[in-house]
Amino acid sequence: MKQTTLREHARVVVIAWAVLLALMLTSLGSAYLDLGAGNVVAGLVIAFVKSAIVLWLFMRLRKSSATVRIVAATALATLLILLALSGVDYATRTSEPAAFQSPRQAPSFVGGKPATQQTR
Amino acid sequence: MSAIAAPALAAADDAPRTAQLGMWIFLGTEVLFFGGLFVAYAVGRAHWPHGFAVASRHTDVVLGTVNTAVLLTSSAIVAFAVACADHPAQRRWTALALWATAALGVVFLAIKGVEYAHEWSEHLFPLADFALTEPGAELFWVLYFVMTILHSVHLLIGIVGVAAFARATGAGKSWPTPGRVDTMALYWHFVDIVWIVLYPLLYLVERHA
Amino acid sequence: MSSVSDVIVRPPSAPAPAPSPSYLEDGHTLRSWLTTHDHKRIAILYAISITVFFFIGGLAATVIRLELATPAGDLVSHDTYNKLFTAHGVIMVWLFLIPSIPSVFGNFLIPLMIGAKDLAFPRLNLLSWYLYVAGGAIVLAALALGGVDTGWTFYAPYATMFSNSWVALTLVGVFVVGFSSILTGLNFIVTVHTLRAPGLGWFKLPLFVWAHYATAIILVLATPVLAITTLLVVAERLLQIGVFDPAHGGDPLLFQHLFWFYSHPAVYIMVLPAMGVVSEIVPCFARKRIFGYRFMAYAILGIASIGFLVWGHHMFVSGQSLAASLVFSLLSFLVAVPSAIKVFNWTATLYKGSIRFDAPMLYALGFVGLFTIGGLTGLFVASLALDVHLTDTYFVVAHFHYIMVGGSVMAYFGALHFWWPKATGRMYPELWGRIAAVLIFVGFNLTFFPQFLLGLRGMPRRYHAYPPEFHQLHMASSMGAVVLALGYLLPLVYFAYSLRATCRTSANPFGALGLEWQTRSPPPTHNFDRPPTVPEHVYDYATPTKAEPARTPAAQATSP
Repeated sequence: MKQTTLREHARVVVIAWAVLLALMLTSLGSAYLDLGAGNVVAGLVIAFVKSAIVLWLFMRLRKSSATVRIVAATALATLLILLALSGVDYATRTSEPAAFQSPRQAPSFVGGKPATQQTR
Repeated sequence: MSAIAAPALAAADDAPRTAQLGMWIFLGTEVLFFGGLFVAYAVGRAHWPHGFAVASRHTDVVLGTVNTAVLLTSSAIVAFAVACADHPAQRRWTALALWATAALGVVFLAIKGVEYAHEWSEHLFPLADFALTEPGAELFWVLYFVMTILHSVHLLIGIVGVAAFARATGAGKSWPTPGRVDTMALYWHFVDIVWIVLYPLLYLVERHA
Repeated sequence: MSSVSDVIVRPPSAPAPAPSPSYLEDGHTLRSWLTTHDHKRIAILYAISITVFFFIGGLAATVIRLELATPAGDLVSHDTYNKLFTAHGVIMVWLFLIPSIPSVFGNFLIPLMIGAKDLAFPRLNLLSWYLYVAGGAIVLAALALGGVDTGWTFYAPYATMFSNSWVALTLVGVFVVGFSSILTGLNFIVTVHTLRAPGLGWFKLPLFVWAHYATAIILVLATPVLAITTLLVVAERLLQIGVFDPAHGGDPLLFQHLFWFYSHPAVYIMVLPAMGVVSEIVPCFARKRIFGYRFMAYAILGIASIGFLVWGHHMFVSGQSLAASLVFSLLSFLVAVPSAIKVFNWTATLYKGSIRFDAPMLYALGFVGLFTIGGLTGLFVASLALDVHLTDTYFVVAHFHYIMVGGSVMAYFGALHFWWPKATGRMYPELWGRIAAVLIFVGFNLTFFPQFLLGLRGMPRRYHAYPPEFHQLHMASSMGAVVLALGYLLPLVYFAYSLRATCRTSANPFGALGLEWQTRSPPPTHNFDRPPTVPEHVYDYATPTKAEPARTPAAQATSP
């Protein structure tokens, strides 16, 4: 019985692994197609699916307690809040890029004493 | 009246559940830790789509893809190790799987080192002699190095941890209980997930040009 | 009928034979203290260290108020002044307020309150303290080397590019202390989930535990963002690579988004535990059940969650878009609602209560009043149009001091007095306790109320010199600070005095409910000689069979 369970486990792991590799190659391939905004969507969606597989099957989120699932969801939700609300600012703020400068503006220093001026 | 006089302590029996919950909470903190960098990336890419695309094309997509496969495989192997750990008769397999996981982690770091060496010689480090002049390209490479170095540090910690588990399991020590192996594996899987997200963000911005 | 007749109050005349030593007597060597796993000893270690930092931060404040007593910037140079208010902010926020109630009282009381032997991860708890001390030492080292002049908010680009001070070193210290916070929060969450006594459901938990649970959630979610932000600032400073520099495609406002995403929830880390303390003290000294227990619990969770949505109200005038500012302003008004609910419920708890004005109660009542003022003035600065006028003025300084000092610090002192007998087995002199509380309340208001007026009239913050028309208000504020300082120093004296053997007290001198009062004072190392009894209702004070708090003869005779 135990032996079977181990084999079952191993089967799930191997299948998940194969799916993950396939998704990775899909992601790679999609980057070579000109999908416009679809490129970033495809990349993120595939990454999300791969992460979900690792979370659900490898990290055994499906068998974990409700508390653990809430922990995972809350962390993700908090990050999404950070992205979303700062995104409100970035989406509605016009920015005029500063004149691009290669040389650094200020000299390098540590603590209270400026190092010798570096010219680049 | 609901006076209950039962002793409060169940901690000893419940150590696996406690440790598992603790690790998940810790991983939650790591999501927010890396999350700040993802915000910086999102802002940068939204502002400089062309610069990020140009910069991303200079990453080594072959090595990056190989590395992704390496980590995905290592996750599968450590998941297998966790399954084996539930069966004391399979102790040798558990130890082998754990060693293989750690070894793949080392392979990842080695490949990353090769990438860094190439990038150094191509002047892609965001220093005085940075090679790309496209606005935003330097920002991409700043984020590339901060994110991958931080990820590598976390991976290194994972390698050390998994190797310690491998050694103790192989030697028949009692402290690597199935619960603890599972807890260690959770950390490893998380490091893998971070890379899963980094892969398209760093290597696949716009390869079709 | 009460189930709480099960509460064990040992009559002082018949002290129970102690079968095991108290946690204080369980090992007398320094080593036994520095390698302890006992949450109570770790709490004492924290108490000592944060007291040290409190007085260092207070010293900085003293010099600040001395300078501001006169209009001319004549006591210290402007550079030194910048370093002083930065030191004051860094020390008071990260080395005092954030750890204060959670790391001292949370650590000491949570296992007791839930009937557990210790926290879920005792060794991690000790590590938290060591990280705190290490981080604090690093910050002090940076101070000794010359200090930081950026303000505790470390805004880019000044902190990342132009400041000639020990920014990187200080931020490394902050990073380390942050990890201490994260581990404490992690410990609390797992403890409350897994170690509650049988029968102790969530809605039987003291509000103190609810408050610390919510605080722990904020700790683990917000602090990592601070961690990555400090890393990025250090990287930009040392390696000159960065994401905050527009000349290289970055955005200085990104720093503010990341910084305040942590630092706004941080103020709830500072205030929620204080609210938890007040919720324990008020029912005890009003001899009445807390009004609206479930709403209080939900309000705690509400404050913690909505608190994550409002950080942009620190950025109204920094260049953030109007749309985002409007959203953040609206959400900031929303976060006041659960706080208001709590104030209403504390007040309703007092109604028809049998109120005793013991020292802990004076602090708790002070909290309710001063937190209300602080919270209301928060609404002023949450209004966009008003904030344009009030931001970066002394109005904001007064607002947050009303909450953090009038609120959190008063609650900390209230907790000190309330649980001092439990932790030490000694009773402080009640008269002096009340005197100190009054001095602190009066001194606090004298110090900070004028600052509202100063801010309204345009006095900017972080300035060491000012036009003569602000002189009177500043002078009043500085004089108030003298009274406040006296109030803070008094407890040092009488708490030390109370440690004498003659001040011994009983297990439950206040007749309080809560599992921690069912064990000896001070408790044994393993917390309970006998398993505690979980009552039917957590704040079941409202029954006539409850004895009036029987102060022991020893306690009553301690007026020096």
